[in-house]
Amino acid sequence: MLAKIFLKPYSALLFINNPYAGAILLLATFLNPSVAISGLISVVATIAFAEFISLREEYLNKGFYLYNSLLVGMGIGYIFSPTLISIFLTIILSFFTFVFSFVLNRLFWTYRVPILSLPFSIITIISYLASISYRDFFTKSSHTLFDINLPLFLSSYLKALGTIFFIPSAVMGLIIVFIILYFSRIMFVLSIIGFYFGVFLHSFLIGSFIKALNDIYSFNYILVAIALGGIFLLPTIRNFLIALIGVSLSVVIEDAIHTLFSFYHIPVYTLPFNMVVIAFVFILYLIGYKEFNYYIKETPEKSLSSYLSHIFRFGNDLVKISPPFSGKWSVYQAFDDEWTHKGDYKYAYDFVITKDKKSYRGDGLELSDYYAFGESILSPVNGYVIDCRHDLKDNPIGVVDRVNNWGNYIIIKADQGFFVEISHLMQYSLNVKVGDYVYVNSILAKCGNSGYSPEPHIHIQVQYYGILGSFTKYFVFEKYYKENRLLFNSLPKKGEEIENVIADKSMISRFTFIIGDRFTYEIFKNNKKLKDFTITVKMNDTGEFYFEDEDKNRLYFYTSNYLFYFYNYEGKRNSFLKWFFILAAKIPLVNKQDIKYQDYLPLYLLCGKIKQTFIEFLSSFSKNKYKYPVCYKFSYLKISSEKGEVALGAFNKGFVSLKFKDFLLKIKSEEN
Amino acid sequence: MKKYEKPTINRVDFTMASKYGSPLKTQKIRNSIDGVDVHKLTENYGSPLFVFSQKAIEEKYKKLYEAFSSRYPNVKFGWSYKTNYLNAICKIFHNLGSIAEVVSEFEYQKARALGVEGKDIIFNGPYKPKEHLKTAVKEKAKIHIDHLFEINDLEEIADELDIKIPVAIRVNMDTGIYPQWSRFGFNFENGEAYEAVKRIHKEGKLVLTGLHTHIGTFMLDANAYREATLKLMDLKNQIEEDFGYEIEYIDLGGGFASKNRLKGIYQPPEVIVPTADDYANAITNAIYEKNKSDKLPLLYLETGRHLIDEAGYLLTTVVGYKRFPDGRKGYILDAGVNLLYTSTWYNFNIELDKHYEGLNEPSMLNGPLCMNIDVIEENIMLPSLERGSVLTISPVGAYNYTQAMQFIRYKPAAVLIDKNSNVHIIKEEDDLQTVNFKERMPKEL
Repeated sequence: MLAKIFLKPYSALLFINNPYAGAILLLATFLNPSVAISGLISVVATIAFAEFISLREEYLNKGFYLYNSLLVGMGIGYIFSPTLISIFLTIILSFFTFVFSFVLNRLFWTYRVPILSLPFSIITIISYLASISYRDFFTKSSHTLFDINLPLFLSSYLKALGTIFFIPSAVMGLIIVFIILYFSRIMFVLSIIGFYFGVFLHSFLIGSFIKALNDIYSFNYILVAIALGGIFLLPTIRNFLIALIGVSLSVVIEDAIHTLFSFYHIPVYTLPFNMVVIAFVFILYLIGYKEFNYYIKETPEKSLSSYLSHIFRFGNDLVKISPPFSGKWSVYQAFDDEWTHKGDYKYAYDFVITKDKKSYRGDGLELSDYYAFGESILSPVNGYVIDCRHDLKDNPIGVVDRVNNWGNYIIIKADQGFFVEISHLMQYSLNVKVGDYVYVNSILAKCGNSGYSPEPHIHIQVQYYGILGSFTKYFVFEKYYKENRLLFNSLPKKGEEIENVIADKSMISRFTFIIGDRFTYEIFKNNKKLKDFTITVKMNDTGEFYFEDEDKNRLYFYTSNYLFYFYNYEGKRNSFLKWFFILAAKIPLVNKQDIKYQDYLPLYLLCGKIKQTFIEFLSSFSKNKYKYPVCYKFSYLKISSEKGEVALGAFNKGFVSLKFKDFLLKIKSEEN
Repeated sequence: MKKYEKPTINRVDFTMASKYGSPLKTQKIRNSIDGVDVHKLTENYGSPLFVFSQKAIEEKYKKLYEAFSSRYPNVKFGWSYKTNYLNAICKIFHNLGSIAEVVSEFEYQKARALGVEGKDIIFNGPYKPKEHLKTAVKEKAKIHIDHLFEINDLEEIADELDIKIPVAIRVNMDTGIYPQWSRFGFNFENGEAYEAVKRIHKEGKLVLTGLHTHIGTFMLDANAYREATLKLMDLKNQIEEDFGYEIEYIDLGGGFASKNRLKGIYQPPEVIVPTADDYANAITNAIYEKNKSDKLPLLYLETGRHLIDEAGYLLTTVVGYKRFPDGRKGYILDAGVNLLYTSTWYNFNIELDKHYEGLNEPSMLNGPLCMNIDVIEENIMLPSLERGSVLTISPVGAYNYTQAMQFIRYKPAAVLIDKNSNVHIIKEEDDLQTVNFKERMPKEL
């Protein structure tokens, strides 16, 4: 535990969180013992200070406290050999770094902006300015113990990497390259591209390629490229370009700061990196940039796969609503359609009921001839009814109301913040009033023919604001059946007949797991019993539920109001637990027979390590490379796919049996 | 050539005219049912004629079943025989998955004769003769007890057969609607139902496995079903806790409205009749809300009218007309209240076989009975019809055929139009032989 705390800041400087990498890097800093010792002292001092003022939680949870101090310590060690006075200075500045980091973080966090190594940059300025007066008491630090000779073109890159740890040596660079390469190929590529692009640009500006290669602050390009291209933003082509723009900016800033600081002999260090990355993250977060990395994982690869998994499986940040009816209805008008769904009002759908391609029986001269007339309209979202009208007459066929063209309507403010408007309701048919909270599929009103409506139909649109006639917003239907296929987050085409998904609450209770629920399975291979296998339901500190097996592998799941799904697996590649995910990634909580649906499984479930590495790398250039579709067939209490089969219990919670390859898992008993 | 029409003077009632046009001009026309010409039907099978559409039955059934089954896993429909027990009709419902719900030994026998097993019959009703009750017990029918005397009868049967009989009781309750049906079963609010169960439990000869209620007919408020379900579930929970019975099923009866036009209600049925979703939502949500046991109870519904009413038509022919002294035109039809029992409380939908020239005028539709009460429509705006015009009266699928009287005239034939528009005769017209079949003549006469 203590070792981990010490090692974490070392790996954190490379955006990696791994104690082993930290250990290697700590050892590597002894290439310059002065840097290594000074760095260690600062970490110890910071921890001691934090403990002294009882702020353990802070430095344990947030990496920047320790790595900023570490940088400050190593920076002092880089210029001064450890003496009593320099140690004293290191300790004092470590305290200061901690306090300053705390202050900066509080200020920056309002805008969700990371402080990176900004405290270090500023403390360094202070310490250098101060040390001008102390200079006489210090002994200049010696340089690295040894180094290897490589061509300048290569060694400059490696030295730049080493400089991140105040050890500008090719050996240190090589060690760092191996560590980066081991953890993330994307980061490695970014570091190369960032460095050489920055150097090239710099040489173009200053007119000397050699000089640019020898510039000691060129490691900023590497840090900017990695931070923007893979850490704070998702590793995608678009963000690689942003990273390169960031690199170019850092070239200019570096020169500007260098000019200014050289008057006082202050080194530039990481200030360009901090300025560029903080500025970019600030703006991109504030404008809700699409490919922002909201959930930073250990590596860019993992961030990307988690993001892609989410958009392929759950449509990520789309506005999602349910179809506003039950039974089978046909699309009469879709988005941007020929009659009324145009311009700012193009994101709307019209639905009618058709039989034998007609929406009415007989001649269709009376409202009651229309199949849709009088059918229930169901709520497409969870939310509050904020506006409605119900007094307008249902127009007879052939007459439209051009004054009140929305007719009788309901506007619901969805819990997610957008507004849904449904029009042409039957006069006096509303079941709800303003202020009511409605759930998905609760009955709102009846389909009518009020307003500008040539025949009884449901008009639905999503709006930016809760005002009648507000502009429309793009949305998708979260779930619906088309024939026997269950589709997620899709849009039906004009003329297509779709059916809403109505949840069967008995299915929901079948998947309502409580912390401590245990399920024991007997494992058979080719009908021979191997052993018992127990999974337990647990919850982590962020409220996520998961199954845990005896080997502490974790399988995270969630039960929504119509879907049970697994979304994350942590643990060994070979476990029985992960097969729960593969065999039943999503389970619709419905009572239906022979429903087919597709899901995209995360690569780590199905591929070997090498293949996974390869595909993850490629998918940062082409997202579709990541798609791994599996088709599932759902028949009440049974889910089957090419991967195997799962059976659910008629009266019990959870899974009764799982069949895959040569294995069979059968439930033994349920203990609570 | 334009037909000569004797001129008449009609009062034009402007309150009837609206911006939608004048009722003097509109005509409702139907020349075919499921693609079969109405004249062909009357020519081939006689007039009047009951016509049933298999397509309409199946669509309606699937829609209601889907509304329930999508929300609730254990739901089963019981075809209410009294609504329409023509064998072919019953068979369609059984093929769709319905069990049988009968209220007399006659209906019970009819179901058995159709091949329905005893276990798939719900035996309801206030009068179940003991010998027939015994047969039903032996054949493992689901018996719904209506009163205390039936408990005695069943306990005697249990002794005679030396078995424990699984039974259900019928419960009546206040669900906020009027009139409250308190004639059948045991009352919930005054504790009668609970006492009946206590009584059953005390003797230990019967085992309670189900609870049944039927709150009324043509229910226009889905919320009443919610109330009924909540109360039935409360009773279920209490009984299970107090007596240790496992209530396997609850039966919410029927009473769902059809899209028929009730007399005295001026809004169209599409507006006032709850949708399948309304009923399903009300009932299933209430079960989920109240359920306390691990198993959800099986839900039975005995919907009759809602499923069959709109699938039935009566074709009738104009046999003559006259002008009444008050100026109204009176049409004599070959079908009357002898065939249209429900005409007392419904304004039927009356459709013409073609477009007729001339304006609509106030008319009256009379049946063929030599009785002053034989009126199908007292006041209807119709153009001038001809002798031989065929009118289609709907919806008449529920209760009309079963309650049609053999009175003055023979009972007419009934046909079924299948999904491919083929016509099948499912009941021939009665004749003298049918009517005289069981009559006996004393020798002295």
